[in-house]
Amino acid sequence: MKIQVSINGTEYVRDVAEHKTLLSFLRGVLGLTGTKGGCGAGECGACTVIMDGKAVKSCLILAAESDGATIETIEGEAAGSELSDIQKAFERHHAVQCGYCTPGMIMSVKDLLRRNPTPTRAQIIHGIEGNFCRCTGYEQIIEAVEELAGTRTTKGELDYV
Amino acid sequence: MVHEFSYVAPTSLDELLATLSERTKAGERAVVLNGGTDLLVSVRAGLERPDVVVDMKRVPELHRLSFDNKEGLTIGATVTVDEVLASEEVRERYRVFHAALSELADHHLRNRATVTGNLVTASPCGDSTSPLLTLKAELVITSASGSRRMKVQEFITGVKQTALKPDEIVEKIVVPAESAGARGGYRKLKRIKGHDLGLVMVALYRTDDEIRLSIGSAAPRPVLIEGIKPGTDADRVKTMAQAAINPIDDVRASAEYRRAMVDAFIEQLLEEVK
Ligand code: FES
Ligand code: FES
Repeated sequence: MKIQVSINGTEYVRDVAEHKTLLSFLRGVLGLTGTKGGCGAGECGACTVIMDGKAVKSCLILAAESDGATIETIEGEAAGSELSDIQKAFERHHAVQCGYCTPGMIMSVKDLLRRNPTPTRAQIIHGIEGNFCRCTGYEQIIEAVEELAGTRTTKGELDYV
Repeated sequence: MVHEFSYVAPTSLDELLATLSERTKAGERAVVLNGGTDLLVSVRAGLERPDVVVDMKRVPELHRLSFDNKEGLTIGATVTVDEVLASEEVRERYRVFHAALSELADHHLRNRATVTGNLVTASPCGDSTSPLLTLKAELVITSASGSRRMKVQEFITGVKQTALKPDEIVEKIVVPAESAGARGGYRKLKRIKGHDLGLVMVALYRTDDEIRLSIGSAAPRPVLIEGIKPGTDADRVKTMAQAAINPIDDVRASAEYRRAMVDAFIEQLLEEVK
């Protein structure tokens, strides 16, 4: 069927097989491969995007269901070579290692900070509980978000090492 | 998805019910798609093989959440878990239900998952089932040929099995007004601090003259024990609970551990509502 979606401000009208997920539509049809696929079952959060203002797992949504939706993905973060504030904070705090979880993690953080610009540490942990990271141990990610929330004054470089 | 199916999204309740009835009569496997957080996982795992997926989220009549002192709380089929959690009415009047729903999966899934979907999936570890049992919730089940009402305990007939026929939907859940305002609590045993399936869950509901207890993940069907007099000795309540459950050993926990934790949770919850 034909669907129309707005992704990072660009309108797309495309044909999509009705049994395909939004994740496979983004990656396979549109070539927006920033969003990653992991478990395909709603558990790991690698595929997180923001749809109509809500963080969701794109592996559990059919592309057909997203007809008419406004979607934000990791590709909408950097403006040219200028990283977004969240990306910069992740960089400063070494919150990225292999990077596989990062696109989904950043979309979850974006959603969290929109709902609550000054989350506590506990709220940050709660906000990213649906995103697995198998590299960092989460500490650097939490620190990056704390800096964005204004609750941490140090500027990265692995404060605790 | 490995398995191919077609997709339709009716925009009114009549159209939705007609679609289900026609497709089913034509011998097709028509499956309702709500939040998708269980269905698409089952399709991917090959456990569900629909010919057509009928999305109910574009039906406005099904997306209503309301409370009044006569009817109680009405949760339409497509109301998401997060929408229920955001309701002041639910937070104030149905505390145990609210507590249980905030344990359901993670924020992203709660943005999509629905309470009715959680019930229809009928997993023994569904987080909404135990509190809804203690609250005496009823389901309004509707098809093109009419509606019927059913209690939650009649609805869930086994592990992932319900009394729902292929051409029927759960139109809404009704939680009686009399159940509002009761005290109680919810305990869920998990392997990790973050979101996880419950290894065993206990919901306790208390009014001035009755305690009701519901236990999840401890038998093929959720267990409800009613009519416990407040002030009953904790050991007696535990004995009743142990007789009603029938937990299994599986990869997540042993039956023995589940039984022990049911006792521990009952003791904690009874202490809390003293
Ligand atoms: S790929 Fe979607 S949650 Fe893992
Ligand atoms: S950086 Fe490797 S999984 Fe998070």
